[in-house]
Amino acid sequence: MSASSAVAHNHHDADSHGHEHHHGHDHHELSFIQKYIFSTDHKVIARQFMFSALFFLFIGGFFALLIRWQLAYPGKAIPIIGNLLPSTWVTDGIIQASFYTQLLTMHGSVMIFLVIIPLAVGMFGNFCIPLMLGTDDMALPKLNMFSFWLMPPAAMITMGGFWFPDGMAAAGWTSYPPLAVINGPGQTCWLIGVFLIGFSSIMGGVNYITTILNKRTPGMTLFRMPLTVWALFITAMLIVLGTPVLAAALSMQFFDQFLGSSFFIPDNLVTTKKFVGGGQAVLFQHLFWFYSHPAVYIMILTPMGIVSDVLATFARKPLYGYKAMIFALMAIAFLGFIVWGHHMFQSGMNPLLGTTFMLSTIVIAVPSAIKIFNWLGTIWRGNIHFTAASMNALAFIATFIVGGLSGVFMASAPIDIYIHDTYFIVAHIHYVLFGGALFGIFAGIYYWFPKMFGKMLNENLGRKHFYWSFIFFNLTFFPMHILGVGGHMRRIYDPYIYDFLKPFQPMNEFITIAAGLLGFSQLILVVNILWTIKFGKKAPDNPWNANTLEWSAPTPPPHGNFTEDIRVYRGPYEYSMPGAKEDYAPQTKQDIPSEVEGEIVDESMFKAH
Amino acid sequence: MKGWFEWAYRDMLSFFPENVSTFGAQLDGLFTFVYWISVLIFILTYFLLIAFIIKYRARPNKKSYHFHGSNIVEFTWTILPTFLFVGIGLFSEDAWTKTKYQMKVPKPDVEVDVIAYQFGWQIRYPGPDGIFGKKDRFQMSKMNLFGIDSNDVNGKDDIIIENAQLHLPINKNIVVNLSTADVLHSFFLPNFRVKQDALPGKWIKVWFNGTKAGKYEIACAELCGSNHYAMRGEIFMYGQQDYDKWLDGKNKKMIELQQKQKAAELTLSDSTTTSQGS
Ligand code: HEM
Ligand SMILES: [Cu+2]
Ligand SMILES: [Cu+2]
Repeated sequence: MSASSAVAHNHHDADSHGHEHHHGHDHHELSFIQKYIFSTDHKVIARQFMFSALFFLFIGGFFALLIRWQLAYPGKAIPIIGNLLPSTWVTDGIIQASFYTQLLTMHGSVMIFLVIIPLAVGMFGNFCIPLMLGTDDMALPKLNMFSFWLMPPAAMITMGGFWFPDGMAAAGWTSYPPLAVINGPGQTCWLIGVFLIGFSSIMGGVNYITTILNKRTPGMTLFRMPLTVWALFITAMLIVLGTPVLAAALSMQFFDQFLGSSFFIPDNLVTTKKFVGGGQAVLFQHLFWFYSHPAVYIMILTPMGIVSDVLATFARKPLYGYKAMIFALMAIAFLGFIVWGHHMFQSGMNPLLGTTFMLSTIVIAVPSAIKIFNWLGTIWRGNIHFTAASMNALAFIATFIVGGLSGVFMASAPIDIYIHDTYFIVAHIHYVLFGGALFGIFAGIYYWFPKMFGKMLNENLGRKHFYWSFIFFNLTFFPMHILGVGGHMRRIYDPYIYDFLKPFQPMNEFITIAAGLLGFSQLILVVNILWTIKFGKKAPDNPWNANTLEWSAPTPPPHGNFTEDIRVYRGPYEYSMPGAKEDYAPQTKQDIPSEVEGEIVDESMFKAH
Repeated sequence: MKGWFEWAYRDMLSFFPENVSTFGAQLDGLFTFVYWISVLIFILTYFLLIAFIIKYRARPNKKSYHFHGSNIVEFTWTILPTFLFVGIGLFSEDAWTKTKYQMKVPKPDVEVDVIAYQFGWQIRYPGPDGIFGKKDRFQMSKMNLFGIDSNDVNGKDDIIIENAQLHLPINKNIVVNLSTADVLHSFFLPNFRVKQDALPGKWIKVWFNGTKAGKYEIACAELCGSNHYAMRGEIFMYGQQDYDKWLDGKNKKMIELQQKQKAAELTLSDSTTTSQGS
């Protein structure tokens, strides 16, 4: 005992925060602005990321519903709001083709750059890392604050085309030149905006890596970190290695677009805008996907980590194959850098490369499969408690299986010939990003909300939100596989000018209705959050009887997080130890009381695993 | 409501548009193969997921099994999918080399040039002489999308079809030289299972062999601007005789046109010489 507390005290001397906060003396009050707006407290920054991303979720969702309206009822005026929209967007309430391309571009950009990445990485990274590692804050709190505060201006600039007559960017979220380069000022804005978002990501990533390597509390070895932290650690490395390449690609495109250089423009393009020429259009795709394939893992690794933690907690069982899960994350991250060409099978790059990328891509499905099996292993012989959090986590597995399987179709280059750029891809994207990443994020929100805000979310509303989302998610996106098999191209303003797509109008109509209800279901989450913040029940310190360190902090954690010295004695997943009185064993507790009064569980007998 | 639920009760594979190319059957076969593997994996994993959710739902006084996993199990479920997935990859390789490798494109029976532009397709046949004029990238313009070299006599009689209608014979190896004058486009023939992006500055060989006469559609599959959706073209597949008839008609028209042009040029040059002489 005495040795351990000595270590804990050493830790405290090195660390400026400690008991002082608790007792309150020599600690002057922060002003409102320092506390809630330009705060350097990781928990406040996490909440800022959460609220801003949820706001953009509705903006992006609104764009999506306009797209869906057009696909179901081309040539019909948008109901209710149709006549309120500006005449550069709609004529007589009918969406214009040029606005449609802006919509699909901004829908993708907003959802990826302003919703999923800020939620998965910004929000959970900030909230979970310091708390789960038992430390007071990020290693670089000021950098952390900048990383959030770059987002609002960056978001505004990304959508800045709004203020120009030509409108917003309209070359897709992938922004392929030459189209992107000959487009107007909306595209320039998009390039600058996304560049800044990338910059914010890098600041976050650097901070996460530094914090994880340097600020773990005594006893928290790397292999005692919960999977959420591991996932964030690996995500941060992907960000730090990948995002600079995106920045390069965007800068080069900016030069082409704004200054007339020709990195991506070959000789003598027959367009009104003139260029010196001599460049290569596919070069951009290589650079873009070198970042953007890893970026899809930036979006999903953290949700995978969250799902692992949530399932272990609610199945009251150790995570199956803890180390295998970590190695699978590493394998996905490593392989993720050598598969980018699978987005370019039909791009006109040398087909020989198609063969290479087909094999690497197919191999990356293996660690994904390993993760599925380990999650199934985790709930096997468990004692599964169903809550909004655990149901979302289970839904993650269900949808990720479908998304992974559709990935295998596309990974085969010859199969991809037909389904590339069809709704099959759109189905895949949404199964992994909405069904996967977003359900994982929902699981995380339901799980950590009590700690973040000190109030228990309404479980009833949480379940309603889950059921409605899960049902309408599948009704919206599953039929899209079928559209893809029918040859229905993506990014099409009016599919029905093609005879072979005419029979799909009723199915598109069905999808649109389901999508509307899916969008509507998300309001339940917002109502739940706002209602809970105002009227919710106060949360106990450890409402789920979980092991990880954040649950040993007061609720909500004060500035500096922990009020007592903490030290880690075991891994994060020691649930249901035989002979123990409780079915959980917090990482901070040295002695686990036994079923037999007055005795202590001898953990050495399980160490072999 | 009619048709709303088609996706739910009809077999997914029945939604493919009719296949009318030789390798199309092989590609559809691959899709079907992966489809059945997926269905199998889907059933297996969903069965376990649902069974575990039901069987291991929380009950009072029950304790979970304290177990961290086993290396043998991890090893097994790493190796098995690896073999399966790599198998799918190797199995796919043949179809890929056959359809896309530029050096494996078969000797053309009919060769045409197709160029994409915002927003449409132009098609070029070699004309009565059967020889394409040389292409010169720097001569490309709105009036001459193919960049036909004005110094090459072989190019004078090339036939250019501006309304995106492609006419071809069945049971012949067709080679399309594909490029674009401006932004990226993608040449998509749903019924032939052909898709290839058109790259500016590069001519890519796309080949297929049609098996059934009829009228099919050409679509653009790569976002190319506001009117991307409107880049519809048509492809007419004929038996050899009908095709020859169509081609002869075109070639004759071209010969007539050239004669008319020559005559017009002659009168024009006559008048200029006289006016200069005075
Ligand atoms: C089993 C693992 C996976 C495999 C084998 C796989 C394979 C592929 C392939 C081959 C494509 C390109 C298809 C095409 O454009 O023709 C693709 C597209 C895409 N994948 Fe995956 N994928 C996997 C998992 C994921 C995950 C986990 C995510 C995201 C979290 C994801 C997100 C995307 C996105 C966003 C696109 C489309 C990008 C675009 O063109 O707009 N994929 N995937
Ligand atoms: Cu990818
Ligand atoms: Cu197009």
